Formats: sequence, structure tokens, C-alpha cells
Amino acid sequence: MWTRIKRNKGLWALLIPMLLWIGVLFVLPHVKLFILSFMDRRSGAFTLSNYATFFNKSLYTKVFIRTVIFSIITTSLTLAISFPTAFIITKVLGQKFKALVLMAIVLPYWISELIQAFTWMVLFRETGVINYILQLLGITDHGIEFLYHNSTIAIGLIYTSLLFMIIPIMNSLDTLDDSLIEASYDLGGDFWSTMREIIIPHAGPGIMVGSIMVFMLNLGNYVTVTLLGGKNSLWFTEAIYNQFIVRFNQNQGAAFGVILLTFSVIFVWIVLKITKQDLTEAM
Amino acid sequence: MTQEIDVSLVQITKKFGDLVAVNNVSFDIPKGKFFSVLGPSGSGKTTVLRMIAGFETPTAGDIYIGGERVNDVPPNKRRCNMVFQRLALFPMMNILDNVTFGLRRRGGINKAEMERMAEDALARVGLKGLGKRRINQISGGQQQRVALARSLVLDPTVLLLDEPLGSLDLKLRQAMKLELKHLQARMGTTFVYITHDQTIALAMSDTIAVINLGKIEQIASPEELYRRPATHFVASFVGENNKLMAGRVTRMLDDHICEADFGGLPMIGRAGDKLKPGDTVDLFIRPEMILLRPGKHENAILGKISEINFDGSHSLIIVDLLESSRPLALNVKLQHTEEAPEVAVGDVVSLSWRWDAANAFHPVDQSHIEKEA
Repeated sequence: MWTRIKRNKGLWALLIPMLLWIGVLFVLPHVKLFILSFMDRRSGAFTLSNYATFFNKSLYTKVFIRTVIFSIITTSLTLAISFPTAFIITKVLGQKFKALVLMAIVLPYWISELIQAFTWMVLFRETGVINYILQLLGITDHGIEFLYHNSTIAIGLIYTSLLFMIIPIMNSLDTLDDSLIEASYDLGGDFWSTMREIIIPHAGPGIMVGSIMVFMLNLGNYVTVTLLGGKNSLWFTEAIYNQFIVRFNQNQGAAFGVILLTFSVIFVWIVLKITKQDLTEAM
Repeated sequence: MTQEIDVSLVQITKKFGDLVAVNNVSFDIPKGKFFSVLGPSGSGKTTVLRMIAGFETPTAGDIYIGGERVNDVPPNKRRCNMVFQRLALFPMMNILDNVTFGLRRRGGINKAEMERMAEDALARVGLKGLGKRRINQISGGQQQRVALARSLVLDPTVLLLDEPLGSLDLKLRQAMKLELKHLQARMGTTFVYITHDQTIALAMSDTIAVINLGKIEQIASPEELYRRPATHFVASFVGENNKLMAGRVTRMLDDHICEADFGGLPMIGRAGDKLKPGDTVDLFIRPEMILLRPGKHENAILGKISEINFDGSHSLIIVDLLESSRPLALNVKLQHTEEAPEVAVGDVVSLSWRWDAANAFHPVDQSHIEKEA
């Protein structure tokens, strides 16, 4: 039966919409981007100057490095929050509470990221909800600007990417047989050794998938970062945006885009190598 | 001679909400014995084991391991280890790391010493030199042995086994059964084995506790259990039996020998309960104890063979009783020995059996008890 389906060439036609989708909307633009990045803005001739600009102007390299390190930190924080949450949902809570907590986590994602960011602004700004409460309680007598700080950006980034970390970790923890945890205790293990030797290794692929997704989302985030960070955000996506939209320098923007993409791919590959995870297994 | 007691349960009760899973269970397990807890699924036997291991806390009663009360001792501090039903080997580690897991938790032993101990344990269960393999690279029987080695390397006072042979196929199960028994005899560790499979319990145990609906029905040696079941449940659960329903006691020959009437046929058997003339009883007769020839035994009747089922070493013969006023049939197990009589369907044969091949009990409400094969 199955081999007959496999031999049926017509069935592969079902893949065509997806291949078209990826081809037209993903591969083609990236090829175009790649070509643009090697072209001179005025003459259109081949040049490496767009890349040279990146490495020569310390502002761009600094912003890039800041974006990467900031993304690594927020990804780690997201993991630190998500892992215990996922563990409690899958292994501690009963069926009823499980659904309830999961709902509470998923519901905010029914709202767009833009609205989410505005909500944070309403909370954090000088005349916002938090300031109002602080003044009401007499803790402060003047409005404090909570927006446009690194910590505000971090809060926003963690919030928007939490779900993408929790779900893969939950999936991997779901497949962990509880008797493995019991066996660990039975053999003399305690909470930390069971975590270290049994639970985290088992959840490894889930942690990996979540971390890759969240890292990519953070690295490429624009809305949350610019709204909550303002001028101080210094995010690399902002530099790309500025080249394309503000300075009409497509070629420079394209070069930045290629740099970001190349770096992400290499970075993820290195992390997978270091943690000895297989991408196919992780996904 | 007083024996050293390794595990002692004193009036243990465990409730889950309104459900009483284990009801006032007490037993002592002497050091170095193979002790089985036998019962159908849902009888509470797993709960008993989990309480000894420390994964459940008794609602009432005390548990002692090696003379020490362990009610408040967490599982990782108890001197007992468990072989789980689905083994619960750690797939993220190789075999050697699985076996050294407990040693690493204990600390105070250097790595080389740990690995030597683990290799020893693996050699003891016949897995010498397989330490570097991963769990999914070995067979079910080998995984079984790794689970044993992983627990035994810690030299526990008591080894708890939660029906670990259940998942194996018949041949392998038979082999592992003997191996487990030999291993236990060699090491002298106290084994507590939980099972619903009476053939395993009978073959391996020094002592068996039969448990049903959370209560202990009988604690005895396998032979005692088989020959002299203490309750109606044990008689119907352990071994094969002919069960004749609802006879009436006509007289007592002795305190523990009764004669009961089944459809006009008088049958003599051991009184398992306290019986008196006029009581209604069920009678259990072992099929292999019924002889297919006239005998000088207490029970002798005529029957007609209605069916012969050949089964290799023996045949199961179904005989309709000729002289009873209601339809009664007995299963007779005929061993294919040299002296075995030639029989054919339709033959009229004499059946005879000794009084102590039959056990009589008051009938109980059996609607909730399913006999498991």
C-alpha cells in the first residue's frame, strides 16, 4: 500500500505549493539580497565595499555584537524562565490545571506583537500604570521613565518569545517516562542529580529547538526592540531598516542582511556541534 | 531458631481518596528469602511495593527495613532498590553509566573502582564487556539484566522487582525465571517480587503472599499454597482447578474433612473454611490429582469422556459425570506416562481422587473477581 503511494509520482505534486512558497518568497529574495550586497550603489558594478563599511565603521560592528550578546542573554533568561514552567506543567500539575496554565500562556499570543509592545509602553512610560501605582503608594513623587532601558527591551523580548521556548520543552518533557525519575531517586539520586543526569539530557533536543527559535526571533526582532528601546535600542535590524528605508541604500542594507543571516546560520551550527545535538533530532 | 527479618510491614493501610488500595496488610520477610506478592491487577500489590520503595506513604501502619522504621525515609535514602516493570533504564547513558549511576550518587568511590564494581555486576548477570553499548542496542532480555545489575551493584538489603519479566516472550521468561532464582540464591539478597503470574511466583518463591482487593488472603510456601489454599480466592486464583459450585455439606468426618453432596454425588474433601452440616460449599479439585482408573481413594465415581485435548506432555480430558442429578463435568489432566491408560471420546471411565486433592469453601460473591490466566 505504502510503496504504491510512494511510487505514485502524482503524489509529489502535493509538495508543489510549499516549494513554490519557499522558492518565491524565501529563496528568490535571498538570492536577490545576496546579489545586491555585492553591487555598487551608483554604478551597479561588483564591489566589496558594502561589507568593508560594516567592518570599518565600529558603530556597525558594535551594534552587531551588542545585538548578538543581548540576544544570547535574553535567550538564556527565556530558557531559565521556561524550563521550570514547562517542567511544572508537564510533570507536576494535574490535567485540569495543566490546561488552565497552558491557556494562560498561549492567550497573549492571540494579540499581535505590535499591540503587545504598546501594552508594555502603557505600563512602563513616565505617565504609565506602574508609575501611577508607585506614586499612589507614595514610593516616588515624580514619574520615572522605565522605557528605553536595556532591561525594558529584555522584558519585551522575553515576553514575546516565551511561548516558543515553553512548547518545545514541554513536548520533550512529555515523552520522559516518570519511572525514569523514580528510578533515579530509587538509586540514590536527589533533585539536582536527577535534573542534571536524567531530565535535562532528555529534554536536550527540546531545549535546543526552543533556544534556536528564540535566539533567531530575538536577533531579527524589530517592533518590540524599537518601541521599547527607542533610540537607545541600537539593534542591528534597525541599522538594516535605516539603510533600506531612511537612506535608500539598498546595497548596504542587503550586505547587513547577508551578514546577519550568515552569522545566525554559523552560530547555530557551532552551538549544535558544541552541545553534540543533531539538528534533525533536535527538530 | 529466630530468623533475621529484613522487611516488615505492620498493619499497613493505604487509601487514595475513598479507595482503600491496601487494607491492613502485615508480613515479615526473613533475610535472604525470595518473597512474592501474588495478586490480580488492581489488587494493591504494586502499591505495597511502592510503599516499601518509598514512592507512596502508608496512610496507617509502619514499614521496617533491616529493623529500621522507614516511614519517613525518602526513597533515595532507603537500603532497597527496585527493578521497574518497564525497567526504566536511562536511555541517555550507556550500559556502564547506567550501572554506575547509583555508585556515583553515593560518592566516596573513585571512578576506576566504580567501573570495576559495575563490570563485576554486569559479569554476574552475564553481560561481561557490553558496558559501552547503548540501551537501545541490546535485546529485551539483556535490558532486563542491566536493570538487575544496576540495582544489585548497590548491594541493597532488599531488591524489589515489579513484574519485570512480564514483557518478555514465553521462552525468554522461562529462562530468566530460573536465572533470577539462581542469582538470588547465589547472592543471598532478599528479593520481593510482585506478579500476577502465578507460574512465576510458584516456581521462584520461598514464600508467597496472595493479595486480593488490598487484603492478604494467605502467606505460605508455594506448595502449601497450592495444596492447602486458605481461602476461596486462593483456591480459584492459584493453579488450575475444577470448581464445583454450591454443594451442601452432609457431614463432617473430622474438623477439617467434610462430605458434601453435589447433585446426589457425595464428595469428600478438605474443609478450607470452618464448615458444619447444612452449609453451602464450593469444591475445588485439582485436575492432575484425579486418576482415570478405579482406586481405593475416598472419592470414586463414573464418567463419560466428552472431549480430549492433547497438549504435549499431557492431555486435558473432559469427563461428564454419569451419576449426578445435575450436569457436572470434571477436567482431568492425564500425564502421558507409560502407565497412562488409553482413552477415547465416549469411553466410560472410573474416576478417583484422594480427599486432600479437593478443597471446600463457603461460596463468596465472585462477581468482582476475574481469574487471570
